[in-house]
Amino acid sequence: MPQTSDATVAQRLRTLQQAGTLAVEYPRLGPLLAEADDDELARAGRILARLDPGEVLRAHPGAPSLTVAVTGSGTLAPLLPALAAEGARHGIVLRTVPSSYGTWLTDLTDPGSDLHAARPDLVLCVLDPMTVLDELPSPWGVDDVGRALDAKLALVEKAAEQFTAHGDGTLVLNTLPLLRVLTAQLLDLRSRSRLGVLWREANARLLGLAERHAAAVVLDTDPLVAEVPAHDPRLSAYAKAHLSPALLARYAREAGHLARGLVGRTKKALALDLDGTLWGGILGDDGAEGVEVGEGLKGEAFAAFQRVARQIGSQGVLLAAVSKNDPEPVAAVIGEHPGMVLRPDDFVRITANWQPKPRNLTDLAADLNIGVDGFVLADDSPYECGLVRHDLPEVAVVALDDEPALHIEKLLRDGWFDTRDLTAEDVARPLRYRDELVRKDFQHGFDSIQDYLDELGVGVSLEPARAADVPRLSQITLRTNQFNLTTRRLQPADVQALLDDPGALVLAVRSADRFGDNGVVGAVFAHRDGTALTIDNFLLSCRVFARGIEQTCLSALLRHAAATGADTVYGSYRPSPKNAKVAEFYTRHGFAPAPDAGADPRPDSGAATGRADAQAADRNGTTGARVFRHDLADILPQPRHVRLDTSLDLAAGPDATASPGPSDPSDPSEGSA
Amino acid sequence: MNTIDDFVTLLRDELGLPLGAEDIGRSFDQVEGWDSVHLLHLLTALEHATGRRISLPDALEAPSLEHLYAVAVGR
Repeated sequence: MPQTSDATVAQRLRTLQQAGTLAVEYPRLGPLLAEADDDELARAGRILARLDPGEVLRAHPGAPSLTVAVTGSGTLAPLLPALAAEGARHGIVLRTVPSSYGTWLTDLTDPGSDLHAARPDLVLCVLDPMTVLDELPSPWGVDDVGRALDAKLALVEKAAEQFTAHGDGTLVLNTLPLLRVLTAQLLDLRSRSRLGVLWREANARLLGLAERHAAAVVLDTDPLVAEVPAHDPRLSAYAKAHLSPALLARYAREAGHLARGLVGRTKKALALDLDGTLWGGILGDDGAEGVEVGEGLKGEAFAAFQRVARQIGSQGVLLAAVSKNDPEPVAAVIGEHPGMVLRPDDFVRITANWQPKPRNLTDLAADLNIGVDGFVLADDSPYECGLVRHDLPEVAVVALDDEPALHIEKLLRDGWFDTRDLTAEDVARPLRYRDELVRKDFQHGFDSIQDYLDELGVGVSLEPARAADVPRLSQITLRTNQFNLTTRRLQPADVQALLDDPGALVLAVRSADRFGDNGVVGAVFAHRDGTALTIDNFLLSCRVFARGIEQTCLSALLRHAAATGADTVYGSYRPSPKNAKVAEFYTRHGFAPAPDAGADPRPDSGAATGRADAQAADRNGTTGARVFRHDLADILPQPRHVRLDTSLDLAAGPDATASPGPSDPSDPSEGSA
Repeated sequence: MNTIDDFVTLLRDELGLPLGAEDIGRSFDQVEGWDSVHLLHLLTALEHATGRRISLPDALEAPSLEHLYAVAVGR
């Protein structure tokens, strides 16, 4: 990619556009767009909106992609380039399908609508206040607004209900900004207050839709319009574009992070620089007493930033300190400085050394068993930010500067860690990763892996999933990239549907060992079809694999199949850029390739409903899948060092083996999900 | 923005459209890639470049780049 340092982002994109290489360079546009300000990003979006998603996918068949339907109550043209820009920022190919003006209600409620036909993964139904204002008589009173809001809300509720019943994508609605050009038309303040109450009640009803429908998300526009104007009177009057381009750009940013979550690319860890990021001053020069944190104007601003980092860490994001410093003084400040908010226990690791930051980040990713693309780095040094962007373009860089009061806003500007639902597992995650580092130290004391595993005391529970497991199981399908045999992503509503399906078997895998409870660490999705059991997907958190848990579960599943009258078990593997590690999972465990078996033998998986297009197959994780077959004659034994708890009916299995299984790697820590 | 060439350059930069001098006199339906939606994006940029307020209805009704330029600079 040509890199002219003084060219603007849009100019560089235009150069690629003219050379015809924009599609080929698509995966590398993220780091380029990371440097763009709002205006530049808008320009970039107008260029990218003209790029054919099909061309990008032909150049990069493995790139994550989503079909996004755009509908709503006004002209939404400015949203399309904003979405194109956000898609490129995240390296996600968005096939945007805009609806005709004013058709949102039929789009959502008519199962035969073009919107349904497009089989969108994400439906953005953008509502604006004019949809209510247009219903008002002239002159109007507060009660008229109340009636108009009621009528409109009834329609939206009906549409949400019908859409979530028919459609299978995630529906995004939004609250209606309350405009001053409406409130100021009422001259008495009492009526104005009443209008405010009615309006907020309607918005609260909208927000409540997300609680009633698992497949619906409601974006609260209040925090967005506190930062940008909601309305442009001329665009509204002449082009029916009732929400301002600035607000739509913010909306697109939120939608971009939602899309990121849908394709399983939510960030997992926040790496924080120290000098100038968590405290003021240079520890090496100023000494522990000289750094500014907790006291003084700047010190308070740094402490406020630390509180926000801690807040994020309390919700399952792994915090790490990565600093060019000597380790001892860093440990002293984090451990003892009275002004510090973040303490050693808040971090999964504190890395203070003189290695380049990209190297430290890759090492940290390996130790934590997560991909380096799971990292966000917040750093005030333009040099370090530039180096990481260059060496590790998959890391999201939050470039801070010398104004600590702006650190918080910069960190939160992008919803890097946004997630649909927070599970108990999330909250406990940092502690579990810290335990994992302790396990590694423990492991170093053993001569062989088997000695280590024998002492580790691994317990596994394999049980049919219950309703309470739904958010976590969905999350495992979304977050797990390596030990994910088919990378079939399931939203909470999809998991619930499988739980309700009598032919489907959904198993939650829990594990524990002497260091603590790991919680729900894996999932098995299967279905029964006559005497065949088909494993649709098998997933295990990268944190716990290579300890015999996967062999234990597969062995139990095979014995369960045999005990319940099955004669064949099918499993499939669909390659993704990240799951090569499990390509031989089935063949290592007694399965034989079954190239003649359909990629998805399930009768109701699409063909029966007449929608077996490539897109649906892709979503179901069946395109390009390799199928394997086990005849249940010789079922692999469960590893000896694992205790299994299950209520599943199991056939008497062979005796346990001393080996953790044929896939036993030389190093139980090799994974990096 | 002093000339119609500056204007075409600005449009090219803002919209990423491959516009050239030959497009100036053409009606918009003959300009490759043109969409009336572009005017919504352009309004702010044109007002910034000219330092004056532009009538959006007049701009929306302009049949060609030439006419749009006249609206933008107020002739």
